[in-house]
Amino acid sequence: MKISLEWISQYVDISDLEPDTIANNLTMATAEVEGVEILTRTIQGIVVGEVVAVEKISKDKNLSLAEVECGGKRYMTVCGAPNVRIGMKSAFAPPGVTIAGDLKIEKSRIAGHISEGILCSSRELGMSEFHDIILEIPAAVKTGTLLSEIMPEKDAIVEIDNKSLTHRPDLWGHYGFAREIAAIFGRELKPLDLDDLTAYQSLPEYPLEIQDYAGCPCYCCMEMKLAVRPSPLPIQWRLHALGQRTFNLLVDLTNYIMLELAQPMHAFDGDKLKAVKVGPFGKEGTFTTLDDQPRKMQSKDLMIWNEKEPVALAGIMGGVNSEVSESTSKLLLESANFLGSRIRRTSVRLGLRTDASQRFEKDQPPINTKVAIQRFISLVKQSGADHEILSRLTIDGDLKDDFRPVNVSVDFLNARVGMQIPKSEMFRILKSLGFTAEDKDDKTITAGIPPFRSAKDISIPYDILEEICRVYGFDNIEPQLPQQYTEAVHVNVKLRNEHKARRTLALGHGFMEVHTYSWFDDYWLQMLRFDPGKTLVLENPSAGNMSRMRTTLLPNMLNLVRQNNLHRDEFRLFEMGRVYQPTEDDKCDETTRLCGISYRQTKSYNLELHFRELRGILEDLALATSAGDLSLSPLEETKDKSTIAGHQAKIMINKNKVGFIGIPENRILKELAPNAQVIWFEIEFDKFFGPIYPAIKYERSSEFPGSWMDFSIVWDTDAGYDKLIEKIDKFSHPLIVKREFVALYKGKPLPQGKGSYSFRYLIGLKERTITGEEIEEFKKQYLEFLKSQELELR
Amino acid sequence: MKQIQQQLIDDLSKASSMKEVEEIRVRYLGKKGLLTLQWKNADFKSMSPDERKNFGIEFNKTKNLAEAKIREAMEKQQAAGSRSIDVDATLPGTDRRLGCLHPITLIRMELEEIFHGMGFKVLAGNDVEEEFYNFDALNIPADHPARETQDTFWLTNGMLLRTHTSAYQVRAMKKFGTPLRAIFPGRCFRYESVDASHENTFYQLEGLMVDIDISIANLIGVMKTLLGEIFRKEVTVRLRPGFFPFVEPGFELDCQCLICEGRGCPTCKSTGWIELIPCGLVHPKVLEYGSIDSEKYSGFAFGLGLTRLAMMKFGIPEIRLFNSGDIRFYGQFPASGSI
Ligand SMILES: [Zn+2]
Repeated sequence: MKISLEWISQYVDISDLEPDTIANNLTMATAEVEGVEILTRTIQGIVVGEVVAVEKISKDKNLSLAEVECGGKRYMTVCGAPNVRIGMKSAFAPPGVTIAGDLKIEKSRIAGHISEGILCSSRELGMSEFHDIILEIPAAVKTGTLLSEIMPEKDAIVEIDNKSLTHRPDLWGHYGFAREIAAIFGRELKPLDLDDLTAYQSLPEYPLEIQDYAGCPCYCCMEMKLAVRPSPLPIQWRLHALGQRTFNLLVDLTNYIMLELAQPMHAFDGDKLKAVKVGPFGKEGTFTTLDDQPRKMQSKDLMIWNEKEPVALAGIMGGVNSEVSESTSKLLLESANFLGSRIRRTSVRLGLRTDASQRFEKDQPPINTKVAIQRFISLVKQSGADHEILSRLTIDGDLKDDFRPVNVSVDFLNARVGMQIPKSEMFRILKSLGFTAEDKDDKTITAGIPPFRSAKDISIPYDILEEICRVYGFDNIEPQLPQQYTEAVHVNVKLRNEHKARRTLALGHGFMEVHTYSWFDDYWLQMLRFDPGKTLVLENPSAGNMSRMRTTLLPNMLNLVRQNNLHRDEFRLFEMGRVYQPTEDDKCDETTRLCGISYRQTKSYNLELHFRELRGILEDLALATSAGDLSLSPLEETKDKSTIAGHQAKIMINKNKVGFIGIPENRILKELAPNAQVIWFEIEFDKFFGPIYPAIKYERSSEFPGSWMDFSIVWDTDAGYDKLIEKIDKFSHPLIVKREFVALYKGKPLPQGKGSYSFRYLIGLKERTITGEEIEEFKKQYLEFLKSQELELR
Repeated sequence: MKQIQQQLIDDLSKASSMKEVEEIRVRYLGKKGLLTLQWKNADFKSMSPDERKNFGIEFNKTKNLAEAKIREAMEKQQAAGSRSIDVDATLPGTDRRLGCLHPITLIRMELEEIFHGMGFKVLAGNDVEEEFYNFDALNIPADHPARETQDTFWLTNGMLLRTHTSAYQVRAMKKFGTPLRAIFPGRCFRYESVDASHENTFYQLEGLMVDIDISIANLIGVMKTLLGEIFRKEVTVRLRPGFFPFVEPGFELDCQCLICEGRGCPTCKSTGWIELIPCGLVHPKVLEYGSIDSEKYSGFAFGLGLTRLAMMKFGIPEIRLFNSGDIRFYGQFPASGSI
């Protein structure tokens, strides 16, 4: 949204304020200013001239030789504009004058004719970028008048961020901003010149009926005749400054009032209309808008109807069938109010966003439908254009022109601000914004919300608070810390454990934390031949293959091996993230998972050692997060598509399954990184943690040194370590302090399938040193035990 | 003899202490030393006089050399004084275990610690949320543009991927009641095409304080303290109007540009200010949705873009790097900043 400060200066005196000061204050009190641009018109030496003769001199180039009269002087000029014609007035740059683009006009020869000076387009005057036609100046302006005497040379265009205006329909016009500026700087806001329209009360009403008050709360119209002629210059330069083309008084005025009051207007060819109805399209079909585009309509789209024929897409664009043309003798002027969401839905669907729809989307106040017509008639009269009013102002619906009262306690206001603002200041601010304000009692103010402020924007005491504060100045509020809590702030055990797990992996085990997306990539799942089964599905995924929400972190993590295997020959990655399981009742069970991957670009490294490293990390994790006793089931080959093919083992905490650790099969490895080792684990983290500060129980160490003893036991490697432990756990002896697993040896001279498992026992007593006999006796008993279990020493 | 000589030189070069040199001396020149034995065991009888003479010369030469070399080695060890071990401390270390944390985690840990110190609980909402909590309960009406598919990822079961961490506000109010001081960091989603400056998956941190007579002055005070902690210096802030349906009044909190100190630079687009925290007093309707008496209590809420803060703090130019899966990116953030 662009604001012309020259235009604003028509309503409030800002002559002593720098544009940057105004911009800055608007940002602080009203809406975000994106920038200020100074517009400089190049009008020194330009005079108003009348075209007194025109002769076409070149058909293909559309060149004319025109004679221009400028206050007694006459010039011949070659002109390429299509709108040059006898009797028109325009801006003429005689020789010696410099026009926009730093171009000095000199007498020259064009197409065999002498050309002394040029008739200027808006761009040549620095008024805008429009260059296809020359400026048309109303006949009332005397020829020979210097343009610099009737048009200001400078303007400042303030650009406002549209996003900061979504809740302020009143700020989609200049008068709204003028009101803000007047309030911020404590100045007077000049009232708009409005025609009271009482003179036309005796005229007949126009046949008007709203059939859908929800979609169209209020509709005003008036039938009239209006001469086709150029708009007064101020209207033209203001529209041009804001990037709007000018056409003729009718079109320009509807645009001008929209930019002034934020109320869009529309003019129908009155000859083609008999009566107006407002209602939905009612079926599916086509409607041709005045840009000649056929539009696909839906039943609910709101239309303006002429009896049984739709003539306009309400609030968006008129129809080609009722467009004002040169033969139009009378107009029907529409000024209506539409429900924002209805207009937006249609305009978004059709991809047809207009200045009008942009404003209606914000829910304009109904009062402006009438104000806009009053303003229109007033401006027509000021322009001196011939016109005739044919109907009285006809209104259907509710104008909602009352001030809406809201009671606000002064204590409430001061408590929410956090400081005392004098009541007189509150009154001053409210009134400067167009509110009424009076004492209800000594503790309460009754504020009257003006009808031009939207009900969505302002209706409760908090809204009044905002109005007062922003004009009072947020900078004037002294920062103040709230009272300290006296109660303890509890640590979130789960989140803290998530961090603990992160630290254990990253600080202690060289893992790198990554993030992957919350959905699967179906192509990748196919590559893995992995089927996650039922998942939650996105209605509007970012891509067709990304519609399924992840139920495990693993596939996306495995993809990272493929993506990164060229960058390093060894890495460990983890992700702590959410997975989403559909529930029976079609909702979502969202849980946290921890997935890790260890990658080594080698086949020669001992896979069992690699695996044991990972198991060690899991054991550390379980210890660090006080999860409980960690154990793994034996590795088993996976059988169905609901798991990643390969081998995997259950990860258990206190014998309950909390996840899996696995090794993908070769086929998958080939996809990830050939000739590499990949081991993964995935833990259901919500089941994995205990207290963050566990009460670890101290046990006194013996003061008497114990004795270490090593035993290497031969055992079936296929049967596995756990089974061996089950056996040797059966041996209990009062001297055992602890037992440690030292190493596993496989290879010669042991036969295939056998391993030597070395254990180290510490034996001793707390109260004294044990004797050599006791040691010998222990050894004897242990060996006897092994024999009874049919276990051999190596 | 030549062989022994070479062997001796090799041995000496490996010796790293006086003790080892002494051992070498005994091994070669002791009573049963290798060199001594050469002489003792020599078969002089089978040699010609010339051979005998040459052997003698050769032996003495070797012995002298050996003594000289050993003396030299001893001197060297003496000179080395206490440094009697062969360790080059300037070589790079091995067996390093420090891994990396995601930049979002680093920022999260830092902020969680700051907020914990300021009396805020840390909570977590869900990524998959009910439409009600993401929109209705936040006073975002049914016809609000944000609800349309161009901004929101919808699930076929009618739920959605939360578009902001504010979605947890009302749940937090219902669960914990008043007084409430909490933050909730988390993953958020917007239906957007991913490019250098747009991501469909990003992180926010929402903050909420509800108590008796919480004011705008409190909001400014807490935000100022917070930013002072984040940037570790006094910061200048300004509050200007901002519109969000779930706060009233709503603000944009700007922080004076720390790079140019407000004079204007490319980072702040010459404005001198960085738009940092959308915030405001909690809308009474939102309090009511949270089963909190809006007559008695008031509160403020604010949202921090964790992804944006991480980009600012670590100088990350492209938002899509965060979820890129590229270890060359993640590898740049050692787990140094963790609590
Ligand atoms: Zn700066």
